[in-house]
Amino acid sequence: MKTHRHMWAVVMALMLALSVAACGEEKDEPSGGGDGGASAGKDCGKVVLNEQAWAGSTANTYIAKAVLEDELGCEVEVTKIAEIPVFQAMADGKVDAVLEDWQHTDEYAKYIDKAGTVVQGGPLGVEGHIGWFIPKYLMDANPEFETWEGLKGKEDMFKTPESGDQGMFLGGDPSYVQKDKELIKALGLNFKHVTAGAEPAQVARWTQLYKQEEPVLFYWYTPQYLNQQYDLAEVKLPPREEGSDCKDDAKEGGDPEQYKCEYDITVINKLFSKKFADSGSPAYDMLKKMKLTNEDQELVAKAIAGDKQDPEEAGADWVADNEDTVAEWLP
Amino acid sequence: MVLFYFLLKGDYPWPASLTWSALPSEIDKAQDWLLEQRTAENPNIFFAILDGFRAFADWLVTALLNFFEWLTWVGTVAAGTLFVWRFGGWRAGLIVLAAFVSFALMGLWEESIQTLALMTAAVLLSLAIGVPIGIYAGRNDRFLRGITPGLDAMQIVPAFAYLMPIVILFSVGPAAAVICTLIYAIPPAVRITALGVRNVTAESVEASQAFGATPVQTLFKVQLPLARRQMLLAVNQTIMFALSLVVIAGLIGGRGLGDVVTNGLYSNAALALLAGIAIVIMAIALDRATQAIAERTDPARRQLTDEGRKRARKVTLATFAGIAAVVLIARALGADAIYPDEFETSTSVYEANIQDTILGWIQSGLDYVQDPDSLIFQITEPLGNFILKNFLEPLRVVLVESPWFVTLGGLTLIAFVLSGMRPAVTALLMLATIGVIGMWDPGMDTASQVLVATAMAVLIGIAIGVWAAESPRVEKLLRPLLDTLQTLPQLVYVIPFIYLMPVSRVPGVIASVLYAIPVIIRLVTAGIRSVPPAAVEAAQAFGASRMQVLAKVKIPLARESIMLGVNQGIIMVLAVVVIGGLVGSGALGDLVARGLQRNEFGLGVVASLAILALGIALDRVTQGRRVTRDDVPDRGPMFGLLKRRRQVQPGGGAV
Repeated sequence: MKTHRHMWAVVMALMLALSVAACGEEKDEPSGGGDGGASAGKDCGKVVLNEQAWAGSTANTYIAKAVLEDELGCEVEVTKIAEIPVFQAMADGKVDAVLEDWQHTDEYAKYIDKAGTVVQGGPLGVEGHIGWFIPKYLMDANPEFETWEGLKGKEDMFKTPESGDQGMFLGGDPSYVQKDKELIKALGLNFKHVTAGAEPAQVARWTQLYKQEEPVLFYWYTPQYLNQQYDLAEVKLPPREEGSDCKDDAKEGGDPEQYKCEYDITVINKLFSKKFADSGSPAYDMLKKMKLTNEDQELVAKAIAGDKQDPEEAGADWVADNEDTVAEWLP
Repeated sequence: MVLFYFLLKGDYPWPASLTWSALPSEIDKAQDWLLEQRTAENPNIFFAILDGFRAFADWLVTALLNFFEWLTWVGTVAAGTLFVWRFGGWRAGLIVLAAFVSFALMGLWEESIQTLALMTAAVLLSLAIGVPIGIYAGRNDRFLRGITPGLDAMQIVPAFAYLMPIVILFSVGPAAAVICTLIYAIPPAVRITALGVRNVTAESVEASQAFGATPVQTLFKVQLPLARRQMLLAVNQTIMFALSLVVIAGLIGGRGLGDVVTNGLYSNAALALLAGIAIVIMAIALDRATQAIAERTDPARRQLTDEGRKRARKVTLATFAGIAAVVLIARALGADAIYPDEFETSTSVYEANIQDTILGWIQSGLDYVQDPDSLIFQITEPLGNFILKNFLEPLRVVLVESPWFVTLGGLTLIAFVLSGMRPAVTALLMLATIGVIGMWDPGMDTASQVLVATAMAVLIGIAIGVWAAESPRVEKLLRPLLDTLQTLPQLVYVIPFIYLMPVSRVPGVIASVLYAIPVIIRLVTAGIRSVPPAAVEAAQAFGASRMQVLAKVKIPLARESIMLGVNQGIIMVLAVVVIGGLVGSGALGDLVARGLQRNEFGLGVVASLAILALGIALDRVTQGRRVTRDDVPDRGPMFGLLKRRRQVQPGGGAV
């Protein structure tokens, strides 16, 4: 027994620590909550917004945070949960709102239509546009790259060590909606689709080539703060025929022909937890009315990601500069 | 094999008739079912139990966090430092103090404390579950043999694969993060504890039985006390494994440093790197502290007299009184719960941290790396292309485009030659599984990357390992570097390579090489060190030069350790496959990442199973003939490593 004395000391200390922690919790919680309630507005209380991993989402989340805190006196918590798990988080009421969802239709079917635990919050106003992009200098030198037909026969220009004797097409973040492999096949272009990985890695790849003024063709989209930093031009893909059932989200092994058109405009949605929508909180009314343009979002995103401004400040600055817009959102 | 390749190149892909192509959609259906059950009106008892566990885990993390905040930041520093100083000595105490100071200066205090609370909860629960299982497994060989494959799977299957089911079952937040960590951290707790209990000599057990001890008495009075060191090693290793899941935990609401890493990658890479450094500092501090406590409190070393024991007790009491005093004074003076951003005096306001300065340094480093005109880029870019053209691509082409039966047969044959009959059969079965679940092409693509990475890691690792074994100074200098490589989130150290070697697949390979070499270096160093001095002296007596001794005596005698290093290297390399997927390695890692991010859940699970099968297959191919009949559990990946760790100190260099 004696040999164990010090282990016991450790165990006792841990037990003590835990029991103290428990007491601390009991004591702290009500007073903390009370303080928050006293300083908060009438019945806004606490709102949990989820920030997605990219800078645009940081921008709109912190704009909303500034308005909720300064105008409505809410207490705002920002979580950073990955795109798909956040649906379950909303279903469980752990997250109140996601302001920038890029059409996760599978999840809509499960959580909104079937279970009804998540509700649509309408469009944010920002419109997503996906396409094939090249640096502006390349477009200036080769005006025929205006449309995809101009690329035909010129694939060699885009050769890199890893694309072998084909041209390199730098694919998008694997988690994004895309159909480039299939498009390349359907359009009969001699490109090798190279995956660069997650967005930061893809950005690293094309910005590197951009700085070297080398040719590069890649999957890209707007709104994106880097569009303010780099001069890019878009290669037009075959137009989307009215009423055609051309698809954008390619699954492994499908017929390439069904994807042979430009990407459709993505309406970016706000989503709310059902519990939050039913709570009658003024925060819900405000978030429901909130609207941003692509320019607004890119501006704030660039301040945060490009100029490394603190997100809180960047959000508040935008709110101060756009009082009229914000006034329309308020209940 | 090469001949077949040229004759039949590309003609025989894995046959569709041997593929179970409906598997991913079946798994998707299972997930949908789970979701429906979870949101049903009357959840069944199973979910009630899970909810209870979730509530408990949430409570534990929150309670710890509140406790740290209640202590105030001054009190937290004092409590951590003084506690470790008392039980682990002043050196360990200083390391802990330095860690706290650095969190504060980096401006990551709150995140660090959140991570610390999460890790403490995860480690306590891992031990609470793992140690009893380990004790039982240590006393029952059949049970141990039965659970070993399960433990292997828990460690090899990438966390990305089971993130979504965990979120469905436990929602997001601390509980989900803790459970995710448990899956990864319980196996080492079980294994090391079991090993400790097993290693208690039969004589001691028989002696106690001869004195009429009951099995329970034998366990508590003989086996457990004698396994004490090993059990503390289990604590240490559980902490290390838990810390490596911090980043993943960030994806499902674990908060803390992991959050900063994942989100920083998209908007502020310098900040992500800084958070990565904080994780390393936390890992090293916890490692040194637990090691020091394990050694200092070892009764076998202390040999205390009654007098000394009384004194020790007084010192302990004084320490706790000191901690309490600091906390109370800090609270009375109104110290903040978390370290503040700025200090205010009556006349001016001071920045309380130097985060901006440090970020400036890191950013200038990143700017240099991102500059394609820099000198280093002129070297690294061609090097990256060279690796791709001469190693990665040719090997991939051979593995993928050879007729499937040639690749399958060839790898099985290598397993047979290197390791023997039974491992070869297992390897064959595992490789066939990869084909059947429809993952042959990406599986072989990943295999080519894993093999190239392992070969590079082994060459570099053996060279450095031998050097370190010959020169204690080199070893000492290497130790912090190796610790950093093992604990820095791979997502962080892959960043510079994305810029420096802008070729898909190469940054992933480099990241896995960096992750695998510490283990190889340690095993090689330990192996060469353990060569009996008599053999070396004999060679020297015959006039052998230093190089001759090394080449003819030390390295051959350390062959087994070196082989184990190769084997462990492969397992470590496989652990980075998913991270590789995020930086352009494609293949299985890409599919696993996509499984979570685009909700192709079934696909992600199947790709993860392929990684597991590949891991087991490559483990068997390279395990060599070290398996002896009575050494049954020495089979799974990691186990051999842990066994070796009795010579190799946890997280550190050889003793």
